[in-house]
Amino acid sequence: MISSGGHGIFLKDFHLSLDNSHSEADVVFVSHAHADHLPRNRSCAVVCSAPTLAFMRKRGYKGDALVLDWQTPTSLNTIRQHFGVPCTRKGSGESVSREATLTLYPAGHILGSAMILVESEDGSLLYTGDVKTPASPATEGVAWPSTVDELIIEATFGLPIYKWKPTHEIQQEMLSFAQETLEAGETPLFLGYNLGKGQEILHLLEPLDHRKMIHGGGFPYCEVYQQAGITLGNVEPYNRETCEGAILVGPTSVLSSGFASNVERLRVAQCSGWAALASRRTQLNLDRGFALSDHLDFFELLDVCDALQPRKIHITHSPTPDVVAHFLEQRGHQAQFLDLTMQQEEELDG
Amino acid sequence: MGKSEQVSSGQMSSGPGNSEPVKRYPFRKYCEVLDRLEQTRGTKAKQTLFVELLRDIQHHGTLEDGVLACRFVSEGAFDPTSGLTGRLGARSQGMWVSEYCEIDYDKVFKPCRTATGSGSETIELLLTNMPHSGSKQAQPDTRTPWTLHDMDTSFGLMARAKKSEDKRALFEQWLKTLTPLEIKMALRMLGGGSLRIGFEARSLLQTLAKVSGSSLEHIRYAHMVLGSVSETARFVFEDRLDEASFSMFRPIAFMLASPVESLEALPWASVRLEEKLDGVRCQVHASVDRVELYSRDLNPLTQTFPDVVVEMKRAQSSLGGSFVLDGEVLAFDPSTKRILPFLDLQKRLGVKKPSSTLMNDVPVIFVAYDLLVLDEKEAFSQSLEQRRSQLTSVCEKASLPYSRQFEVATPQQCQRAFEQALSHGNEGLMIKQVDSPYAFGQRSHHWQKLKEPEGALDTIIMYAHAGSGKRGGTYSDFTLGVAVANDDRFSESFIPIGKAYGGYTNAELRRLNQELKKLVVEKFGPTLSLRPGLVVELEFDSIQANKRTKAGYTLRFPRFRSIRWDLGPDDVDTLQEVERLAQAKSMLTRPSMDTLADKAPIILPNG
Repeated sequence: MISSGGHGIFLKDFHLSLDNSHSEADVVFVSHAHADHLPRNRSCAVVCSAPTLAFMRKRGYKGDALVLDWQTPTSLNTIRQHFGVPCTRKGSGESVSREATLTLYPAGHILGSAMILVESEDGSLLYTGDVKTPASPATEGVAWPSTVDELIIEATFGLPIYKWKPTHEIQQEMLSFAQETLEAGETPLFLGYNLGKGQEILHLLEPLDHRKMIHGGGFPYCEVYQQAGITLGNVEPYNRETCEGAILVGPTSVLSSGFASNVERLRVAQCSGWAALASRRTQLNLDRGFALSDHLDFFELLDVCDALQPRKIHITHSPTPDVVAHFLEQRGHQAQFLDLTMQQEEELDG
Repeated sequence: MGKSEQVSSGQMSSGPGNSEPVKRYPFRKYCEVLDRLEQTRGTKAKQTLFVELLRDIQHHGTLEDGVLACRFVSEGAFDPTSGLTGRLGARSQGMWVSEYCEIDYDKVFKPCRTATGSGSETIELLLTNMPHSGSKQAQPDTRTPWTLHDMDTSFGLMARAKKSEDKRALFEQWLKTLTPLEIKMALRMLGGGSLRIGFEARSLLQTLAKVSGSSLEHIRYAHMVLGSVSETARFVFEDRLDEASFSMFRPIAFMLASPVESLEALPWASVRLEEKLDGVRCQVHASVDRVELYSRDLNPLTQTFPDVVVEMKRAQSSLGGSFVLDGEVLAFDPSTKRILPFLDLQKRLGVKKPSSTLMNDVPVIFVAYDLLVLDEKEAFSQSLEQRRSQLTSVCEKASLPYSRQFEVATPQQCQRAFEQALSHGNEGLMIKQVDSPYAFGQRSHHWQKLKEPEGALDTIIMYAHAGSGKRGGTYSDFTLGVAVANDDRFSESFIPIGKAYGGYTNAELRRLNQELKKLVVEKFGPTLSLRPGLVVELEFDSIQANKRTKAGYTLRFPRFRSIRWDLGPDDVDTLQEVERLAQAKSMLTRPSMDTLADKAPIILPNG
């Protein structure tokens, strides 16, 4: 029933694509607005959450889209009708593709990120997209169905060397880093992807009540966050002339782009799950690395599987699926790798 | 650094004055400072932090703790002059930790180590994260943490433990007592490599100079004669740096040569040349009742070369007084007077108390090229000319072989001498300034070496590793492989032959980084595994047999000669080619010293 590849998943029986745009798909589900999860085909029929659609529009998506409300089951045939996709074959009247009920659950990864539960006569299937539990504080939170039959879950950090500290502890360290840097008359720069991590950093640093600037590519998304009630404090788009002494936020690529190169003393901190490793910290020649991830860690992944008790688990987005499968099997689960050959464009943001 | 930051020397308490229990500094607190050093950027800030640590130890520890703090951070678990080593195999460490954490070594530990690129970091993270080990871990707050002194004792026991199970018992004691951070640091100290916190011997010596208010020169001199950073620290803390002087059987840090940058720019009138011998560097200390040999890393070689020791005893008794010589141990056939290939000498390396059969099969001699001490008098501050004149008379009197020095007047003559040296089977030339003292440690321009790569191979890039420091953000280190596709001994197509870090331009590195993105198969932490596609012409100084590698050989100093954009995986040299090159070198017959007469690189005693 599941076929993968082409950077996502295609549920053949339902003509439903998850995070890709299969040529035979009636409907495409977009879990969140990061580039590696957006459909390549810019004119397909998309279902997603309201913030995801807002981000996609800002990224230039012009196609059809239907917003689904959180935790509100919706019939797939109703969705097909909305998009004008025929549910029955011309002439014979037999159904072309099968009916199912779709329900979105917030995934806690970035604002608008959603998991999708597909329920049909075959049972239930949950596709997580990218997920973080406990949720990032700059999201709607995270919610899970009580049980699922089949689970497709990401394992970006699929090794037991990854275990995150509670976000409020990391927040305290980030606040101290920013404060100490400013008190020393220097300028702090936090590295995080323009959509999601950047706004999470702004939100976590809000208690400092200091002026903040985010890279021009990330600023437009801030509006969507603020409309969703996530406070980001005093934030402006990056301005080279006035950036000295502000708290700066930008993606890793700014390190080689001349960003804030006029600032005499910059202290650079990476905010990424990858910063948990010493080699990643030295690789970018950073002042600090904060292991602030927007993915669940290895142990959280195991706990989720234990709680949901799926009949079958498919692991995606993992450089080390065998390790995850080994641990899951030890806990009595049936697990296998589903290779999406998804490009890891957002990898540094982890 | 202001006066206020100084650790006043001589004030560190050297022990309890009365019956109060001795305060010793906790290893845990020390490791936490090392962790902060790792997270601190800038040498100056790191030095300030270390000065604060020394001051804290002064208040809450002993003078010995200060010495240990300096040793552990710069030299590891053991003083280099102690002769102790206590290596624990990476595999043993991994297996023991896996059992302790109740995880599968192959299925879990190994992929984790691949991701971190570091065994000790993997161990730290697994011990921190795995619930099983966490519950077994002693509660750090309720137990008395180990002190620097306890750690020193445990390192000593580890060095003396012969059997694997004894080492394991000691290691398990660590697992039960130390925090994951302490274990990571302890393992790095035990390994004797870098602690990877960006604060090494050099920074510590600078810090000691500041702390003591002495010049860096003075500190370097003390380091040279004392042979270890921690002993230098002791003299600083005891406020008797002026007393630091040479004593017999404490090896002196070797003088090293830097590569010749330009033959044209050399002052030919004031340099002397020697042929560069392909042996093992060795320092001989000889007195009336004792002879010791030391290797370049200041470890004892005495038991490895008992035949050299016998020769030195004979020489000492014919001279009467004591001496310290710097030179090279070579495999040498006394009957034909030919130097034997390094591959022969390799058979004797690492073999303590060799059998008489082995000593007969591979006879060795010590060829002296410098004299550092004569009759207890230091000669290393004298000029090369003065030292050599003493060396010549000592070697003549005691019938010891020594290197021939000669002069050339022009770069062209030097080039001819270089080719002659190669035709003698030697590595190239050493070019030494006549008026230079024997300078410790850092590579100096007083000694320069002229070498040529011995060969080159077309190799395939198998893995790319992310660089650090100024190369951060790019893949700058590469694992290169040779072809074994048609080799029945192997099932794969390529196997690694060496790792190279340099030899390319910035522009080439940028292009390489773009190209390798297209070939990525897998990414583990800082490492990319690549499909075969990029061919590099790799040059190297020499090929050495190495049973611990898959290929059976390692290349010395491999570096890029050129990136062969024009070649593909089918053009890569085979392992057989490597084997042929190694064989050819060992088959090369070197000329007899007799036939070379006054051109011989070694002056042998008469008869």
